[in-house]
Amino acid sequence: MDGSAGRIRAAPSLLLSRGARRRQRLAADLGQLFLLGVTSLSALAVLAIFFFIARDAVPFFRLEGFREFFTSPRWYPSAAEPEFGALAIFAGSGLVTLGAALVAVPVGIAAAVCLSDVLPFAARQVVKPVVEMLAAIPSVAYGFFALVVLAPLLQRSGGTVLAAAAWIIGAPVAGLLAFILADLGADHAPEPLQKRIRLGLLLVLGGAAATGLWAASRALAGLEISSGTNTLNVSLVLGIMALPTVVSVSEDALQAVGRELREGSYALGATRAETTLRTVLPAARSGIAAAAILGVMRAVGETMVVWMASGNAAQIPSPWYNLLAPVRTLTATIAGDMGEADHVTGSARYHVLFAMALCLLVFSFVCNLASEWVLHRSCRKAGG
Amino acid sequence: MSLQTRKILDRTFSGAGLLAIAWLAAALLVLLAPMVVRGLRAVCFQGTIEHRRFLLEKFERGDRTEVEAEIRAAQAAREPAWRMLAEFDRQLAAGEASVRARYRAPLKDLRKHLQFLLGPEPGKPRPPLLRDQYGQTRMDLAQLGLERVLRREEWDYSNPAAGGVRESKPRAEDFAGTPLAALFPYVEQNLAAMMRPRRTFYWGFWTDESFDAHFFGGIWPEILGTFYLAIGTLLLAVPMGLVAAIYLTEYARESRFLAVLRTCNNTLAGVPSIVFGLFGLAFFINTAHVSPAKSVLAGSMTLALMILPTVIRASEEAIKAVPRTYREAALSLGAGRWHTVWSAVLPAALPGILTGIVISMGRAAGETAPIIFTAAVSVGRPLALWQTLAQPTPALSWNIYNLATEHEAVDLVRHVQYGLVLTLVGLVLLLNLAAILLRARIARRLRN
Repeated sequence: MDGSAGRIRAAPSLLLSRGARRRQRLAADLGQLFLLGVTSLSALAVLAIFFFIARDAVPFFRLEGFREFFTSPRWYPSAAEPEFGALAIFAGSGLVTLGAALVAVPVGIAAAVCLSDVLPFAARQVVKPVVEMLAAIPSVAYGFFALVVLAPLLQRSGGTVLAAAAWIIGAPVAGLLAFILADLGADHAPEPLQKRIRLGLLLVLGGAAATGLWAASRALAGLEISSGTNTLNVSLVLGIMALPTVVSVSEDALQAVGRELREGSYALGATRAETTLRTVLPAARSGIAAAAILGVMRAVGETMVVWMASGNAAQIPSPWYNLLAPVRTLTATIAGDMGEADHVTGSARYHVLFAMALCLLVFSFVCNLASEWVLHRSCRKAGG
Repeated sequence: MSLQTRKILDRTFSGAGLLAIAWLAAALLVLLAPMVVRGLRAVCFQGTIEHRRFLLEKFERGDRTEVEAEIRAAQAAREPAWRMLAEFDRQLAAGEASVRARYRAPLKDLRKHLQFLLGPEPGKPRPPLLRDQYGQTRMDLAQLGLERVLRREEWDYSNPAAGGVRESKPRAEDFAGTPLAALFPYVEQNLAAMMRPRRTFYWGFWTDESFDAHFFGGIWPEILGTFYLAIGTLLLAVPMGLVAAIYLTEYARESRFLAVLRTCNNTLAGVPSIVFGLFGLAFFINTAHVSPAKSVLAGSMTLALMILPTVIRASEEAIKAVPRTYREAALSLGAGRWHTVWSAVLPAALPGILTGIVISMGRAAGETAPIIFTAAVSVGRPLALWQTLAQPTPALSWNIYNLATEHEAVDLVRHVQYGLVLTLVGLVLLLNLAAILLRARIARRLRN
């Protein structure tokens, strides 16, 4: 002890005086406090966003109440007797999002599975930039595409396009289904007849599928699309926009499933498809659910595409699943009406837009919490 | 299930995955192809003499004697057309009132479209609007103008079941039997002589101001505005994001407070962009009064808030990827905590951080919804640096929307719209390409 103390005394410059040490400690603490302060700014920003949106939304509910806003489909904000029923607009947002999810989730998950389990490493290095480019293209460019390229195409030759799409999507799916069903049916037959039964079933089912497809495509080809700016158009484009989110999040989830599970499944004699469907996908279930939620969030919050190409008609399509009718969404209403409402600050016309923004905000917050909870649970499960 | 079926199912499964990937690639291709092809036509096109005349009169560009000679030649080719029109005028003035009344409306319409194609009639006073002072500057639009001179569109409402049916009738029929009937074949056959098309590379599209609501000129104010917005956003977001990332990775201990911070960060990342726009309007402009009305500053602040989570997350990842040994080596050399971060960790994480920043910059440049209420105007002059504090600016993203939907003649400025889209998408993709290359370099360095 004594010796070491002597050595320290021999190099006094290394030893700080008590005051200096305290100063340094204080500086470090203050520095850390500063860092903490800056870091909490993002938390403060969230609070501020909630506060300021809610502050301008509350006057609307105070003026007009809740009932009309959430239950009436009549949206006439600039009439002499203004009506602020936003049900049709909520329905529009929902419909567009549903369509986008139908495009993005299956394709996204299939692409993610392919990226993580099928493609070799080199091919993955090529595909990943494609996904990143899709994510990087600004939403207004997507909107421009939907409005200037896709909408006229749908309007001019929508029936033909839809019929072709029905064949392209339907034929492989129907063929596969017929094959599986024929095989399953033949499984129960006695051994010598199996081959013949399988063939017969295949022919019958395939014929039925082809007839069905033919009828469907005939019906679609006769379809007249009165306006190219409709739910179908927007759903397709939004689906493509949401794809990168779904692909990258679910690919991460699939990658997180360990090698051991896959190898165990292969060792039991499963094919790659069986391994993926029965082992890997169930294990990555929660991550994929989170991917779908994030994709849906992206579609709900998107403004430019729906503003430019959804037709902006505040109506509930009849029947509700009619994808060829124009709709109007929350985001497009906010973006479009603010220009007119801006100069009447203080009226219900202005505050109703904030009420809509509040609904969007709450929805995205809930979605976020849900996805976080799901991911958290999966992490804990993987850990334990 | 038989083994063969399982095999086939396995193949189709892989096939479905590959199909999904192919669909992704096809989507990208279908999306980009029209933008690139038609976008380039904003710069490289068949320019008419009117284009060269505009450049000469507005910017003194081009060889004056040569262009003036060309203008004279074009005028000589147009002169018979205008003469026929003037002669018909005189004939009508001398003739009966009923004939005059019959031809008044068709003649007025014809004159309007001829002026649309060729520019103002010689000898008449100069029209006030710039777009009326010149004929069509592009050959594709001149073809459209020719079509409008030759044919007239009419809506037929005779069948109420079908609603309005569009019909196109030759205009020559209206003037059958008059000397003016000769005008139509003359214009049709001599279009090239009147317009003198020539392959033109108009590089000024990227560096010229726009004139008369984008009928003429380029998109420099939009490019500059986007540049200001993106740079301003980075200046605000990067320091904050970097500090937050350093705190989160190097200082903070796992605690409930940290979990809340992370949740807030994720929430901020998920807030719809239009809500950011409303918040920017309600807070930065109406409450904090950073500027009297829309301004680049308010827009940058809004955008900075929007990309903050991305910057934080990317920087966090980059800092976490720095090997532990770097920190331990610095600490063992006697460096303090801050010194370690500053001199050992940050330089090692810099390329990764830069990647994140570059990608966020692309996002800030491309975003439209947050700047609608906070920074964007449709028409404006390029701003000087000090004006960005208080003045709004045109921006690429906003003007794509505006020109494609709200412009008074959407079809006549299609080439400008495509040019804007190509410029924006090209800019963003170039930034992303830079990020990808940067990341490849990091990966290579880490492997060595």
